[in-house]
Amino acid sequence: MIAHVAWRLSRRALVNLWRAPLPSLVSVLTIGLALFLGATFVLGLFSARALFTGWGAQAGVTLYLDRAATDAQARTLVQRIRAEEPQLEVAYVDRAMALKRLRSDLGDLAGALDGLTQNPLPPSLEITPRDALAPAGVRVLAAKLSQMPSVAEVDYGREWLDKLEALGRGLRVFGAGALFTVLGAALLVVANTIRLAVYARRDEIEIMKLVGATDGYVRAPFLLEGALQGLIGAALALGAVVALQMWLLPRATQAFAFAAGMVAPDFLPAHAAALLGIGAMVGLFGSWLAVARFLRT
Amino acid sequence: MIKLFHVKKAYPGDAPVLDDITLRVEKGEFVWLTGPSGAGKSTLLKLLFCAELPSSGQIIIGGRNIGRIAQSAVPYLRRNIGVVFQDFKLLDNRTVLENVGYALEVLGASDWDIRDRSLKRLEQVGLKHKALSLPRRLSGGEQQRVAIARALVNEPTILLADEPTGNLDPGLTASILQLLFDANAHGTTVMVATHDRTLLTRYHKRTITLDNGRLVSDA
Repeated sequence: MIAHVAWRLSRRALVNLWRAPLPSLVSVLTIGLALFLGATFVLGLFSARALFTGWGAQAGVTLYLDRAATDAQARTLVQRIRAEEPQLEVAYVDRAMALKRLRSDLGDLAGALDGLTQNPLPPSLEITPRDALAPAGVRVLAAKLSQMPSVAEVDYGREWLDKLEALGRGLRVFGAGALFTVLGAALLVVANTIRLAVYARRDEIEIMKLVGATDGYVRAPFLLEGALQGLIGAALALGAVVALQMWLLPRATQAFAFAAGMVAPDFLPAHAAALLGIGAMVGLFGSWLAVARFLRT
Repeated sequence: MIKLFHVKKAYPGDAPVLDDITLRVEKGEFVWLTGPSGAGKSTLLKLLFCAELPSSGQIIIGGRNIGRIAQSAVPYLRRNIGVVFQDFKLLDNRTVLENVGYALEVLGASDWDIRDRSLKRLEQVGLKHKALSLPRRLSGGEQQRVAIARALVNEPTILLADEPTGNLDPGLTASILQLLFDANAHGTTVMVATHDRTLLTRYHKRTITLDNGRLVSDA
């Protein structure tokens, strides 16, 4: 009996969709657009985070040693860091090399250094993570390295990292807010569309209730209809997101220098399933809202 | 079978539509419910099929106090009550067969069972050959016969009819009433609301008369 009823209610949901194609299309497109915008936001956030992480890693950490530190002390420190932090690349820059670099960097102005009676630059260690490190990771690393012997100062572009982190936080908050707003709007549109459908079929509902249909029986085709609309909308959004990743992102990375490090996050089957699931839930909940209000009245 | 004790129905700000109605209808009875327009006939029927709840008093149907049952239990009660309206309440975009089958669909019957039982009911009301027609292609009398077939298809114990012949000419009226008498002869309790006094004089049955919401005679 359950199979009969399930089949009949599913069939009715499909027939209802077919009989009112325009409102159904509006719901499908609204959900599709909302999910596309939402998914694009989320993917954008992932990409931005990957990009920031890359920038953070590129910044690296420079340890300035005591000017009195000897070559032997510096090389001992290099070996200790390599032993304790094998994920780091460590390069020793002695005082002479530092001056040579400065001279090279100054170019035509290098003559200004000729008046120096002694080399004012300290020896340093340039440390670069082999793998990308998040800003927070860079901060922890800098704090740890600053405790090592002979280290006078640590430079890891703190202000820069702070700004990156703040930007990342802002994007997350903005993305979440925008996502909820867009999904909320989609929910309301679906609820209103289904409410129109419910209203158009009020005679049918009245008769169904008259002959003993339960609220659940009346509600089920509308819920299925909403879920189906959500699912189709999500499938459209999925197609658009994949197309965006495959077509637009490669062109963007070529066209804009700032996006050079940006890579498309992997869009896994689990993500696709989540998107479809969210679509179905939005449609289902929108329908539930519409029908619940109608049944109450 | 149907018992009403001091039933009152009033809407805020208005005089009571029904006031202090006490009556009893036995299983298998045929009852006319009559009175002028606005007497409360339709409201009484609405109370019986739970479209409305009484403001006070008790209504017992088949041993169940419908004022005390949960809202979720109302559909199951309605499955034992067939209802026929003056305006038929048929779905114009469904065939006659589908309209009749509705009452069986909600019971979870199989497609085959729905078709079989609906066709048998349509045959009883003489409309088997119109099974695939749309209601708007039928005459008023035929549409009312379809509504009666729908009301009886799941073999309810009670049949309520609200002015079932109100829009029909005398010839069709007789044929519709005959269907109701037939259902009653098979054991269904039938209550028919009508303001047409010629029916009451032509077909002598128990007659409950309402006026201004009060029960004025029961004979």
